[in-house]
Parts: sequence; structure tokens; C-alpha cells
Amino acid sequence: MLRRKSTFFIVALIIAGITYVALFGLKFSVGSKTIEIKGSGQMRFGIDIRGGVDAVYEPKDLDRKPTDAELEQARTIIETRLDAQNILDREVTVDKQNARIIVRFPWKSDETEFNPQEAIAELGETARLTFRDPEGNIVVEGKNVKEAHAVYNSQLGENVVQLVFDDEGAQLFSEATGRLVNQQISIYMDENLISAPKVNEQITGGQAVIQGGMDAKEAADLASKINAGALPFSLTTSNHSSISPTLGSGALDVMVKAGIVAFIAVCLFMLFYYRLPGFVACIALLLQTAGQLLALSVPQITVTLPGIAGVILSIGMGVDANVITSERIKEELRSGKTLSAAIRYGYDRAFSSVFDGNITVMIVSAILWFFGSGAMLSFAYSLFTGVVLNFLAGVTASKLMLSSLSQYKFLRNPVLYGGRRAAQ
Amino acid sequence: MIRFYENRNIYFGISIAIILIGIIALFINGISLDIQFKGGAILKYAYNGEIDLNNVDAIVTNTLAREVSTQITTDLVTQQNNLVLNLAGNEGLSVESQQKLEEALKNEFPDAGFVLSESSIVEPFIGKQFLRRGITAIVLASILIVVYVWIRFKRISGLSAGVMALVALFHDVLAVFITFIVFKIPLDENFIAVALTIIGYSINDTIVIYDRIRENSMLDRKIPIEDLVNKSITQSLTRSINTAIAVFFSIVLVYGFAQYYNIESIKNFALPMTVGVVSGCYSTICLAGPLWVMWQKHKQKSQKAA
Repeated sequence: MLRRKSTFFIVALIIAGITYVALFGLKFSVGSKTIEIKGSGQMRFGIDIRGGVDAVYEPKDLDRKPTDAELEQARTIIETRLDAQNILDREVTVDKQNARIIVRFPWKSDETEFNPQEAIAELGETARLTFRDPEGNIVVEGKNVKEAHAVYNSQLGENVVQLVFDDEGAQLFSEATGRLVNQQISIYMDENLISAPKVNEQITGGQAVIQGGMDAKEAADLASKINAGALPFSLTTSNHSSISPTLGSGALDVMVKAGIVAFIAVCLFMLFYYRLPGFVACIALLLQTAGQLLALSVPQITVTLPGIAGVILSIGMGVDANVITSERIKEELRSGKTLSAAIRYGYDRAFSSVFDGNITVMIVSAILWFFGSGAMLSFAYSLFTGVVLNFLAGVTASKLMLSSLSQYKFLRNPVLYGGRRAAQ
Repeated sequence: MIRFYENRNIYFGISIAIILIGIIALFINGISLDIQFKGGAILKYAYNGEIDLNNVDAIVTNTLAREVSTQITTDLVTQQNNLVLNLAGNEGLSVESQQKLEEALKNEFPDAGFVLSESSIVEPFIGKQFLRRGITAIVLASILIVVYVWIRFKRISGLSAGVMALVALFHDVLAVFITFIVFKIPLDENFIAVALTIIGYSINDTIVIYDRIRENSMLDRKIPIEDLVNKSITQSLTRSINTAIAVFFSIVLVYGFAQYYNIESIKNFALPMTVGVVSGCYSTICLAGPLWVMWQKHKQKSQKAA
């Protein structure tokens, strides 16, 4: 079946389809669900390419190491503020070991008026949590909340957030709830509304429950936001960078242009030097490149400049796999083998070197994935996926295509494979 | 068949000469670590019209109590003027101080329309940690490569093959390093990325030759070891060179584009990469194979002597 004439067209068609999806993306509906495959247009670029902000925050004026819970609360504050600015494409990571919070976000595509310094400074400020009545008057402040946690209340049969106030808070809250029965008390972080529960009755014991059809995660989020209001420190950063959007997009355009020209040049070289196997190699390289784009765009991996280096290396190795095989086929032909034997031996003998070469590079990329940090992760990821694709494209797909094409009589002339002109 | 082994002293000479050039350049240019590794603060503002650099110096020193080196650059494509402030010392800079500085600059030059186009502020300990992790990754990857080659190439006494492959890799990383030094490119995360790329490229290149040696050693068990290696390298030569050409020209194209559009970050990354690719191809053909023969011959001799 693998050696049938039609195999080439099936493989080529699949590759054309994958390339199309990689370039333009795909959206389709299965029943009521819409499935979207993100193409290279929706790729997520790191701030070294697209421009953006990168800051490492640490607690300000704190003479002890913050607890893990406090760091999580600090992260919640930052996330809430980013939400409020509608910056959804971001990475906020907590480095517990070094008590730091790392924030990265690229510019939005329509960003024009944005002051990175102000944004960086504001993200680190102490959060101000307030409970307000419907007129907007502050009734209780976050510092009066002792703790908040999310629990499942079996009596009510839903997830709730339990609040415990300190003495002052209990008093204030009791007054407010007495006044506002059947009205809403709104909870704000800074000026962002995070919840607006209704008061059912006066609450006097200093313990309250917020209910309202939350799922477990929503309840945990709300509890964490309320706790964050009581965080005893603010955050500061003296490790931050920003790259303006114009500077960023320049680098990307140049890389894309250079990539396209380089791809065409490599294909022409392969085509002239290796003829038919070269032609097959071009299609295989197209599959590898498209697959690489998809591997980056579908899971929305952040692509940085080192990540692009990884792509270049793995495509270079794809070229190499094709060169090794084409050379080998040529060699086998010249040693007097028939065409089909030469193709079979060519792929078989080339495979062991392609295999060892690629596995070693895979080891390198795996090491980087576990020990690297920051931009190196992007390099490791694109290299690893590239090597996997190399097996698929440079070995399997190209073998299928060439074996199939060699079934056609007019493609059986050894000259097309770099052999000497001979009577077939 | 090309006599790679017999010509080995020429190749060793070339490599040593290049390394000597690197050492001389090291003394002349010194190593400059980018602030990514050593910490520091660089701010870049776009502006219009004319500004007086002496004034800028005074303002920065007054507001931050830190020395500064200032520079004006003009973007070739957009003709935009940029003021680059490189603060002395390796400390970072708090956002508050940065805002204060910008205000002071705007007060002094109200018509210049300062806009922050790039800032890079790194705390020294974060930079050091980054450098340490990068180097750890490189060292660990090297060890695992040797172990893998050792296991997979048992037939051609894998440990020696692995160690010689490592020597070739070291040569290539050194070539990349020398390029950074000679062209005065500050060592930054690009260096780690390029070094890793070249390690990947070069090990792949070397293994293809070893694979051929392994194959040929099974076809003809009596062949003298230098002939075995010479034959194997010669057989794979076209492939080594063709792959190197394809990769080399692709990266030269990237460099050309970056040069034309004057994108520093890509230039600093593509230039050492081209050198690394050439070195990777060269070290595979001219160093790894002949060195391995030397090791094997030495082993045979000491076995006979015993």
C-alpha cells in the first residue's frame, strides 16, 4: 500500500492542508462546539519580539521572608489589576524560593498610549480592599478582615466564602448590615468591583458568609482577593524592562522576511542539487516548517528570539536529514543497485545517523527544558518539537513520497536521483 | 579518499591560530558582560530636535546620584533620534527613580517629547542566577551527550568517540565566544542561545560521521584505523558541506536583513551563529575524526607494549 502511486498525492495533499492551517488557522463547528486551531497569525510572541513589559517584583521593606500564602495573595492583586487594565495575555509567576513575582506581558496590538513605568509602579502598590454601601461610602476596610476562605457548605449545598472580621471590623460590619438589609454591599479592590453580595440579615458575630452560586474555583479566587486586601506589604521592582511596540515589531518583520527568503533559497538549492529527492525534500521541509508553526501557535507558546533560533536549528537538521538520505541514494545507485533497492537502502542506512543525531539534540533540548529559565525555555521547546517533526517529515513523509513517485515510469530515470545515466 | 588523518597537524595549527587570535582579542577588547548577566540599567528615549548631552549628564547625576554614560543614536530606517542612558554600576533602578528621572528630563527639555522606547534594568543577583543556570544547562547537556555516544557507539569504543565529539563541541563554543569578543558584542542571553544551537548542530554533524565509521568498521574489519576514518569522512564529505552551505546561507540571509534594517539584537545573534556553523562543520571533519584516530592508535601502542 505504501508503495502505491497515489501515496505521493495523498501525503502531499495532507501537507498542503497542514500548511494552510498553519498559515491561516482553522475554525469549525462540531455540533454546538466551535473548535479553533490558531494559525501563525495568532502566534504569541515574547516581549523581545513584540515589545512589552517584564518586571520582577519583591516585597518592599519587609524584614522577613514572605510566606507562600502571602506571595500567592500578592499575585492575586497583580492579576486583578491586570484584568482591570484588560491585559489578559500575560504571565504572572511566583518564584517561591527567592520570594519574587515575575510579570511579563506583551503590548496589545492596538496599544498606542500606554506608560510602561506607571503600569509597573501601579502593579506593585498595596491593594486597598473596601466594603461599600450602595451610595459608595466605605463601611469596612480590608485591614479589618482577619481571614477569608472558600469552603463547601453542605447545608446550603454550594461553595461559599467565609469571612472573619476583627473586633473593629465586626462592629462596623454589624452596623452596616443592620442598615442595609436586602441591599447590596459591594467589595472593591482598589477601584475594581470584585463581588457584590446581598445582605440577607444583620450579621453581628463578626463572621459572615458570601454565597451566590460560585463554583469551587470562583469561591477560592474571591477568598484570595479578599485576603490580598490584608497583605502587609507592597511590592517594588528594580529589575524591569520594557520594549516599545514599534521596536518590537521591526524585529519580527525582519525575521519573517529573512525566513521566507532563506526557505526559498534552501529549496532551490535542494532542487538543483538533488533533483527528484530534492523536490521531495522541499515538500517535507514545508511539512516540518508548518508543523513547527502549529506546535508554537496552537498551545500559544510564547515565541522569543532564542525560540526562533531553535526553529532555525531544527529546520537545519531537517535539511540535513534530507541531504543525508539523498546523498545515500545517489551513492547506492552509483554502486550499481537498482533504483528501488537504492531508495530502500538509502533510507535504511541514512536512518541510523539521522536517529542518533536527532536523539542527542533531543537530550540537549530536554536538559534545557528542565534547567533553563526564561527565554531558554522557548528555545528548548521549539527544538524538541522540531526534532520530533524531523522524524515525521524528514524520515517518514519523505520516504513515503519518494517511494511512491519512483513507481512512475517517467520518474525512474536514475539521473533524476543523481545516478549516472544508465539503461534501466 | 582524502588523507584527513595525515594532514591533522595543519588542522590543529589552524585551530590553535584561531584560538590565539581569540586570546589576543581578549586582552585588547576584554570580556564585556551584558547587563542581563552582570546587572545594571540602560534606558532609551526617543526624542525630537536637539538636546545638550552635558545637560543630560548633569540631570541624571543630580536626580539619581549615579554616574551615567550618554549616547545619541539615530535609527537608520525611521530617522528617529534616541537618547541612550547607560547608568554606571551594576545595581538595578526602582521604577520610582526611573519616573523621577524622566520627569526631570522632560522639565529640562520640554520640546524634545521624550518617549521611553526601551528600558532594561537588571538586578545583579538575578543576572548572575541567569548566567549560572545557562552554564549549568550547557555543562549537563555536554555530559549527557558523551554518555549517549558512549552507549550508542560501543562498536567504535564509544567513550573516546564521545570525548572527542566533546572536544569538537568545545572548539565550536570557543569559536562562538571568540566572535563575541572580536566583534565586541556584549555577552548576553544570545550567547547562551547561539552556543546551544551550535552544540546541537555540531553534535549532529559529528554523529553522522561516527555513524559512517561504525558502518564501515562492520563492512571491513581489517581496515587500518586511519584509512577507516579517512574513508568515512570522505564518503560523508558532500553531505557535511551541503548541509553547512544550506544552514550557513540561511543565517547569512538573516544577518543581511538585520543589517539592512539595523536590528541590533538579531545581528548580534546571527553573526556568531554563522561562525559557529562553519566551525561546527570544520571541527567535525578536521578535528573529531583525526583526534579519535590518535586516541585509538595510542591505545593500540600501549596494548602492544604491555
